[in-house]
Amino acid sequence: MSDRAFICKQNHAIEARSFVAISQNRLASALKKGPESYQHSEPHKTRAVSHCLAHWLSMEIGDSRGFTNTEALPSLIEIVSMNQVAGFDTIEGNDSFSDHPQPKIYQFFCGEAETTAGRSWGDADQPKGCHRVHSVSISMLPSPLGHYLPSPETVILNDHGQNLYSREVENASSASEPAVNMHAKFYSQPIPKGITNVEDSKSMQFPHHQEVPLRNPRNNRMRDTRFDSFKTRSGKIERQLSRLRGKPVELVPESKSTQLENEALPVDRYFDALEGPELDTLRPSEEPVFPEDRKWPFLLRYPVSSFGICLGTSSQAILWKTLATSLSMKFLHLSLTINLVLWCISVAVVALVATIYSLKIIVYFEAVRREYYHPVRVNFFFAPWIALLFLALGVPSAVTDRLPTALWYALMAPIFCLELKIYGQWMSGGQRRLSKVANPSNHLAIVGNFVGALLGASMGLKEGPIFFFAVGLAHYTVLFVTLYQRLPTNETLPKELHPVFFLFVAAPSVASLAWAKIHGSFDYGSRIAYFIALFLYFSLAVRVNFFRGFRFSIAWWAYTFPMTGAAIATIRYANEVTNIFTRTLAIILSSVSSLTVLALLLTTIVHAFVLRDLFPNDIAIAISNTPLKPRRRWFHLRPDSSDAKQIENYLKFLSADPKKAESSVKSDGDDIESSSINGRG
Amino acid sequence: MDPKPTESPIHASLAVDESNSMIRVHEDQATEQPSTAWRILTNFHGGFFRICLSLSSQAVLWKTLIQPTDDHHALRHALRVLPNAAFTLLWSIALVMLALLSSLYALKCLFQFEKVKAEFLHHVGVHYLFVPWMSSLLLLQSTPFTESRNAGQIMWWVFVIPIITLDVKIYGQWFTKGKRLLSKAANPTSQLSVMANLVGARAAIYMGWKELALCLFSTGMAHYLVLFVTLYQRLPGSNGLPVMLRPVFFLFIATPSMASLAWGSINGSFDTASKMLFSLSLFLFLSLASRPTLFIKSMRRFSVAWWAYSFPITILAVASVDYARAAKGGAAHALMLLLTLVSVLVCFALVAFTALNVHKLFLGTNNLAGNVSSNTATA
Repeated sequence: MSDRAFICKQNHAIEARSFVAISQNRLASALKKGPESYQHSEPHKTRAVSHCLAHWLSMEIGDSRGFTNTEALPSLIEIVSMNQVAGFDTIEGNDSFSDHPQPKIYQFFCGEAETTAGRSWGDADQPKGCHRVHSVSISMLPSPLGHYLPSPETVILNDHGQNLYSREVENASSASEPAVNMHAKFYSQPIPKGITNVEDSKSMQFPHHQEVPLRNPRNNRMRDTRFDSFKTRSGKIERQLSRLRGKPVELVPESKSTQLENEALPVDRYFDALEGPELDTLRPSEEPVFPEDRKWPFLLRYPVSSFGICLGTSSQAILWKTLATSLSMKFLHLSLTINLVLWCISVAVVALVATIYSLKIIVYFEAVRREYYHPVRVNFFFAPWIALLFLALGVPSAVTDRLPTALWYALMAPIFCLELKIYGQWMSGGQRRLSKVANPSNHLAIVGNFVGALLGASMGLKEGPIFFFAVGLAHYTVLFVTLYQRLPTNETLPKELHPVFFLFVAAPSVASLAWAKIHGSFDYGSRIAYFIALFLYFSLAVRVNFFRGFRFSIAWWAYTFPMTGAAIATIRYANEVTNIFTRTLAIILSSVSSLTVLALLLTTIVHAFVLRDLFPNDIAIAISNTPLKPRRRWFHLRPDSSDAKQIENYLKFLSADPKKAESSVKSDGDDIESSSINGRG
Repeated sequence: MDPKPTESPIHASLAVDESNSMIRVHEDQATEQPSTAWRILTNFHGGFFRICLSLSSQAVLWKTLIQPTDDHHALRHALRVLPNAAFTLLWSIALVMLALLSSLYALKCLFQFEKVKAEFLHHVGVHYLFVPWMSSLLLLQSTPFTESRNAGQIMWWVFVIPIITLDVKIYGQWFTKGKRLLSKAANPTSQLSVMANLVGARAAIYMGWKELALCLFSTGMAHYLVLFVTLYQRLPGSNGLPVMLRPVFFLFIATPSMASLAWGSINGSFDTASKMLFSLSLFLFLSLASRPTLFIKSMRRFSVAWWAYSFPITILAVASVDYARAAKGGAAHALMLLLTLVSVLVCFALVAFTALNVHKLFLGTNNLAGNVSSNTATA
């Protein structure tokens, strides 16, 4: 196998020593991983590197501007000729690394291949007399030292490396290492294929590193093909083809776009990079993939929460249908025409929103994928199906009286599949456990069950609605308790009041309606659910003056349908208990819901046509894979709760899951290392 | 004990109130009359309403026992022979006690508003603000006088509105604002808020309002579910109870019993749901009763927290009476007799202890304390 040579270019010996110690630590922790990952990820590179790294190394060392004490060492390669120094970048007793998979002695250098901007490989001294047969080393471009090491018995750290440490460590570590820590995977770094051949090395033009601003590589990429990385058929295929052909064109740091297309962002990244109750604001420490100061293409700015509009309008259609047909509301003498008009509008809105979103799926599939992995947004993927259920529920009698039951099955199938996915994640889904991702918008994932049960029961089905009702009730209980507890691990819970809390009202009110339909009468079960909804509604309504100072977002539309649901449930309740109080309550709640929708409509129009900021840049999907500044973090603290006691609590939480604890401690350790390196740079 | 600096002094004061600091010798108490009265007010806190709660629940128990029933079991008939006058006396004592402590608390509100506010902000203390209203509702539903229903209904609203207000305040804080995190603030006394709803629901049935009863019941039970899970999880970071408050663990028994009673009243019969809740309550009682070590530390010195034993056992006994009527078995009736005896004995023992220690509790020998002692002695 390969052994590693890390060249520590360093100005000061002390710093070098500590850095070496750190690398050593990291190595030790990484040794367990074994060589497989390396082999697996880049088989071709192994060989290439094995042949030529002496050369590579000398190139690096020969970079005259790599040192601060450069004047003192005009040509390092002649002073520190590797073969002259015992143990310097050589493996004694090894003819070839492949014959000795577990060499006894390793030589470590801190690889620092990247040069700062403006320094080119080309002006490095060409290597002279670097002909070693057995020297095997691999120049590590910034990457975790960890994953490629076989288990050595001895580690020799070479003092020669100590004065070879340069400042680029910071760049390197901050740019790439945390990403690798998080993914536990190595993304191939650009190694020019040309250098696989030592003999050819002199004729070889070292590729154009100087054109690549390494500090922030993605900026360069954006300049060329700004939003292509999210396109469905972006340059991915071309890149793969060129890699097959072996072209060394991949010097453009491919990490960014390749990673985000090949890897689902881990949920931690969303929590690290974003904040706000809807998890849609970038933290100050982060940098988006796309430029913030410029408007992105419309489809990229078009979020899945736009389906909230469909929820709002179609539920209004149901409300007016109920108002017109209910016995207790007969005294209002409302016409069913309102229902028809609202229903037609809703159908148009649903069609429009769905068309635009399907365009987004076609054009920017990566953006859709990122929305799907977003811990809050994923709940809005239920919204289109719930909106369709609402449309089916509110269908005017002028259109049809009986809907085919096949429609119910067709609509419930996608909801069922999404539920399998989401509830499964809660139950067993590693990172996306409920104690972490619980957010009031999870109610959208619950309420589909009850709406489906309601529709099925009104179609005359029996078993299907009960199935969905039971599933919904069980998971609603869990979610309700979890949301109420506001566990400290729960990062996405808004700390202040926010319209999203109105989703609390949705599930119990729809559940009461659904149970009444299933059971045939508005009995105790329905009433209990209804009163719970009413209490929650009341509890929020008395705090209504706190609902201020939030940036309008299109997702607010989704928060109106709980009000409508509560109003419909109240009308249903007034049918059972008809008196002046229930009627008044029904009218009040109905008008509140309609007025809210109206106000929201006006706000939306103002934002769409006057302010022209209805669809601001959707930062939530544009977070970078890698945190810019590696921070020390403990299992995702809330930003304001870093006191020792709570840390202890999180560790207690952790201890329940030893595997997770181990990995978090490990990544934590890595973070500490990189931050300490950072601090020095 | 408490990470928040704003809460810790209050917490300490409560714990101290409940514990041994009353032993401190105050030499000036006889000489300085106003300072003594002031000290009584200072030592008085919401936790004293536990006495009212226990006495009024005893009144409910006795009322349940003496009222005519369709239960023809011999034991039940044996219990019916309790003299009506004894019940009336008990009820009156409870009422007087409630009036007395309420006026004392009103005085405290007047003169030591800061302390009342601190109690309101405290995660244990706030729940005792439910207790006077609960006691009033219990007395209302066990009243020996057949007054007009309207008066009762007005009284019901008077007592229930503060409960609903507190509910909205506390439950709303649980799920909206991060101020009072349930995972941190949950403790057994939080069940008092649930119980207040359930007591209100049962009283509403007595007033003839089924819908209001169901409304209060559902609100209470939804939050009971949350609370029960949270308390069972014993999440790290939750504020533990001080040792002296350990007796409030018995509130675990009271909530399901109260729920089974309330549901029985709403439903009109002690059905399966009620029986399940009663069984849960009985299990929790056995579970706590088999852990005397949990309570030994708090039993070293008398404190008003001891009264927390009485109310849950009494409510369990009341539920067992209903259960025995529904189950119609010898075992059920034996259980009823046993629980009733235990509850009455505990209550009398507590009265005796309080009478002996009333000086310590109030740290004074003035009129108010004297009244309390005489009342408790007669009870």
